[in-house]
Amino acid sequence: MISTGMFGIDDMLGGGIPEGSRVLYSLEPGVDGQLFMISTLFAALEKGQACLVIIPHTTVDAFLHDIGQLRGKTVNTLDHRIVFLDSVDRERIQRRSGNNEAAEREWKARIDKLSAENSIDVIFGYFDIIYEDFGLEKGLALLSGNTSSHKYTIIIEHLNFEGDKFLASQPIRKSFDLILAIKSSFRPLPHFNYFTIQYASWSSQLRRSVPFIVKNGNIVPYIPKIVVTGPPESGKSRFVASATELGISIDRSGAEGEMTTVAMDFGWLHWQDFDITLYGTPGQPRFDPMLPVILNNAMGVVLLVDATNRDQLARARHLYQIITRMHVPVIIGANKKDLPGRMSEDEIRREIGVGKGVPVYLISALQKDDVRAVLESLVDSITRFIY
Amino acid sequence: MYSYKTGISQIDHATGGFDAGTNVLILAPSLSYAEQFSYAITRPLPGEYAIMLSTNERASEVIDQFKASGADKHFVGVIDAITKSSTPAVSDTERFMFVTNPTDLTGIGIKFSQMVETIFDGTFSGKDNGLFPPPIRFCINSVSTLLMYRKLEVLYQFLHVMTAKLKKIEGLGIYILNSESFDEKTVSLIKQLMTIVIEIKVDGADNYFRIVGMRGVDAGWQKFTVNKGQVVQAS
Repeated sequence: MISTGMFGIDDMLGGGIPEGSRVLYSLEPGVDGQLFMISTLFAALEKGQACLVIIPHTTVDAFLHDIGQLRGKTVNTLDHRIVFLDSVDRERIQRRSGNNEAAEREWKARIDKLSAENSIDVIFGYFDIIYEDFGLEKGLALLSGNTSSHKYTIIIEHLNFEGDKFLASQPIRKSFDLILAIKSSFRPLPHFNYFTIQYASWSSQLRRSVPFIVKNGNIVPYIPKIVVTGPPESGKSRFVASATELGISIDRSGAEGEMTTVAMDFGWLHWQDFDITLYGTPGQPRFDPMLPVILNNAMGVVLLVDATNRDQLARARHLYQIITRMHVPVIIGANKKDLPGRMSEDEIRREIGVGKGVPVYLISALQKDDVRAVLESLVDSITRFIY
Repeated sequence: MYSYKTGISQIDHATGGFDAGTNVLILAPSLSYAEQFSYAITRPLPGEYAIMLSTNERASEVIDQFKASGADKHFVGVIDAITKSSTPAVSDTERFMFVTNPTDLTGIGIKFSQMVETIFDGTFSGKDNGLFPPPIRFCINSVSTLLMYRKLEVLYQFLHVMTAKLKKIEGLGIYILNSESFDEKTVSLIKQLMTIVIEIKVDGADNYFRIVGMRGVDAGWQKFTVNKGQVVQAS
């Protein structure tokens, strides 16, 4: 396996990219996704693999400077096994070749020569200019280095103006073992970048979409807002505190001395390679005007109910109706499973009006493992959500 | 809706300026003051920002031009597609970003997004923008150069993305195209993406412009010069 060089993505792919695979990183125009291919390049170089990098849009010096800036590390052409075909080579090929066929032959000859002389393991190619020069199938054949008997691992970045139509086309589907699309969206957040594993030939996983940020030269899967809501006394503050490394709750003492949340809970955790921020809402109906503000831009919601308190279920049903209008993944956490008189999962589903498609977990918010199981399920739902 | 003042009296008086989300093609022959004309309508007014994608001049030269027209350089960003080919180690700053050459449409798109993001989040100028995203004028100088590096159909797709983005962020897009260097098909394809076309012509020693596609604005030829960053209409 070759690492993608990115947190979390190797896990999603079952350990990385099998050697000899052909990978497409498809970039939506304007989306800051260049670090995907660069991360994989660094991972390959650090593993000692020999890499041929085809950069028809730029020069070697400019490329090395740019990737150094992006990643915060430098590539030394003396220490690493790396060779290039760059924009200067493209100009020479164009000058020498009288027509497209001759240029194609020249590219092929150069790729084969460099690959053989340097015992190349992985070919990295920036595709959109090659695509423009030679068309889809010839361009792909060129970068695949398929004239030799050796099966290289091929990693291609493409500026995709044609969108999903291009990715769904037969030549693309036939040519790649992994298609990873990097896009941006304005919903549910105002503006965020995400990647989607469109297809992986070695994995039967469904298509997964994951928001990401770039942090210290790394792609970090990112869930900026998960909201925990539910009726009063259902254990929301405890849930947030159990889930997170840093948790704050804005509470005050109630009439009988019990603590109740009057603004919100807030917590942050780095878990399963995701940066996640949790927001807990107050449960009392008098705070309902705050709910839309806290729920706004949430990527997923945990609805927590007290599994021992039937009187709260009408309130939970009301909250569930509010959440379902947001069209984001939701999980039900039935808390206090360890206390006597708890209801069954079926009873809770029926009373709240939850269909079979929404998971219900019987948990104790005091148990970190239970809380993590709910979060794991929600993160899984978020990554399968089609933005 | 925000209106971008142009300094061209017949536009500003008739409509209050270009509507937010307008994309304007400046179609002009060589040596016709088209560049100065474009700088004049790209120049940011107080509270606005400008981004210039330069395929012909270095970032420092672009800034000099804006300064000469009286613009505050702190509100001008440049995506420079020239300097990096000779100085590969030049690094991006908030206001100056570099791509190796005009071929690199991936880089241009990303730098544009990054610059807009820093304008919106206030880190570009260090000034609080208030409640709403600030108005942004964006100019490509020039589409003609981009067409020398990339095929028409690819550039059409690229400009389609850029014009759509400008609409989404309620900016003003200005695109310079040499009217003499390209065939009718090319010009008409690029025109399809635009809201308004400003044509410029040279007659003897005089320069003229006319505005096509703007309701309520006189579409006749107007003699002009550019003085200190302002379009001056002569009688």
